[in-house]
Amino acid sequence: MKTGRKKIGKVVLWTILIAVAVIQLFPLIWLIDFSLGSSNEMFTNGLLIIPEKIRWDNYAKAFVDGNFLLYLKNSVLINTLAVILVVIISIMAGYACRRMKWKLNNFVKTMLLLGMMIPIHATLLPNYKIYNTIGVTDTIWALLIPYVAFSLPQGLFLMTGFIESIPMELEEAAVMDGCGIYRIVFQVVTPLLKPSIATVAIMTFLNNWNEFMMASTYLSSPTWKTLPFSVLEFTGEYSSNYAVQFAVMALTAAPAVIVYIILNKHITKGVAMGAVKG
Amino acid sequence: MKKLYSNKWVIFTLVLPGVLVFLFAILAPICLSVYYGFTDYSGMGEARFVGLDNYVKLFHDPAFGRSLLNSLLLAIGFICIQHPLAMIVAAVLDKLQGKAEGVFRCIYFIPNVISVAVIAYLWKFIYNPDFGLLNNVLKVFGFEGQVNWLSQENAIWSVLVVLIWHGFGWGMLIYYTGIKNIDPVLYEAASIDGAGWWTTFSRITLPLMKPVIMINVTMAIISALKQMETVYLLTNGGPANSTQFAANYLYQQAFKAFKYGYGNAIGVVFIIICVAVTVLLNTVFRDKQEA
Repeated sequence: MKTGRKKIGKVVLWTILIAVAVIQLFPLIWLIDFSLGSSNEMFTNGLLIIPEKIRWDNYAKAFVDGNFLLYLKNSVLINTLAVILVVIISIMAGYACRRMKWKLNNFVKTMLLLGMMIPIHATLLPNYKIYNTIGVTDTIWALLIPYVAFSLPQGLFLMTGFIESIPMELEEAAVMDGCGIYRIVFQVVTPLLKPSIATVAIMTFLNNWNEFMMASTYLSSPTWKTLPFSVLEFTGEYSSNYAVQFAVMALTAAPAVIVYIILNKHITKGVAMGAVKG
Repeated sequence: MKKLYSNKWVIFTLVLPGVLVFLFAILAPICLSVYYGFTDYSGMGEARFVGLDNYVKLFHDPAFGRSLLNSLLLAIGFICIQHPLAMIVAAVLDKLQGKAEGVFRCIYFIPNVISVAVIAYLWKFIYNPDFGLLNNVLKVFGFEGQVNWLSQENAIWSVLVVLIWHGFGWGMLIYYTGIKNIDPVLYEAASIDGAGWWTTFSRITLPLMKPVIMINVTMAIISALKQMETVYLLTNGGPANSTQFAANYLYQQAFKAFKYGYGNAIGVVFIIICVAVTVLLNTVFRDKQEA
């Protein structure tokens, strides 16, 4: 009796897990499947197609006409810079607000954290005006500044928590050895923050990697456009060739998915730490 | 030591970059929005001061009301559909051992790392009346007839489905982490006492997950309020504002309808609502946690 019930339990358990996995993954499988066929084959009554001939040329078109390499390079560069800046700035500010003795420390910290509540998209209109006036639209700064600004509050929040948990004795010893504050921050404290730096880096990456609202508002030429633009621009150009559109979508999604699958343990941990604390 | 840690100059240099970024990228645009919200600026030419006109107009604007209603619907969808499902899946996943656990966890999160640009276009195709996946699935189950998923009556529900689907992995992962943090000794004790699955879940898992649920619910409500990108690409608020959200509406008003002043007024009200809701939720939940 008991083993029978256990068996039924197991079946229910696996059914739930597999059903949800199918719901989450099937649209993506459908996407890849159709991206390998020709546009005519899409008008089918079945769920998936077996392409008569695998059309790799869809991907070749997507790669070349979607500016894939340029946009990927821009995405990698801009996101890496944003991560580095967020990490450095949040360690500096976090240390000053948690460890240094001054009157306004809590006020400054609260002010910087307020950024978490501000909806990014409400700043699109005024920032467009500001960037236009000072001439940074269509430069890398138009993306870097807001990306750093909107990831900083979360970064700072996580960093202050971690900095607090570092035992003060280490810093005291460093002071005895004649270290200045800058050296303490960057050579004593920063190495101890490695796990939290990873968390902040992952959260910043996830926040900004797929961002396109700001990018499409502040940029006009392809020079600094990021990966989502491969898809955004393509739909107009190949509006009737659906298979190629599917290829460009699959191609654009690929880098993030591949990196995620390789680093999935670290990313899962980072998100869990970041989100539960944030 | 004390002198070193209260050196004003050092403190100033440490916080300066953060404060500058905040002033330039967050505070300055808000101030500018407040200013333009009082004008009839169109985006070009002169800005004329019109006092509270924009705000009076906004108060009577049905599209803005619809935006807030849609945010509420989305928040309800997150809390009543996505979260219970996510929690059940997280609890089930926790029971698995070995490789399968990691594989499923990885699969559920994949849609989250894919750009909204891809997700929105993909679902546009899924909803396509001619060759879309959804109508084909219905055909397989014997339903005929082409449903127009993005028509005025259906569109908002179709948009909710996409958003609930896309954010599922995120919510699941956070519940999963919460469940993993529960001391396994409690489960052992319950099983020795002969407690069934449901008793264990409702008497141990749920109560201990309270703080995690509060965080997750707060995040869901706020993200429902801030929703823009998926809607912008999938329906752009249409047909006839039926899928409108505040962020998308202010963008449309400023850049498509050339009512930059009005768009900024919406922005100001939008910011106030977001801040108020965040503060309110945090207060309510903090009181509850202490009680």
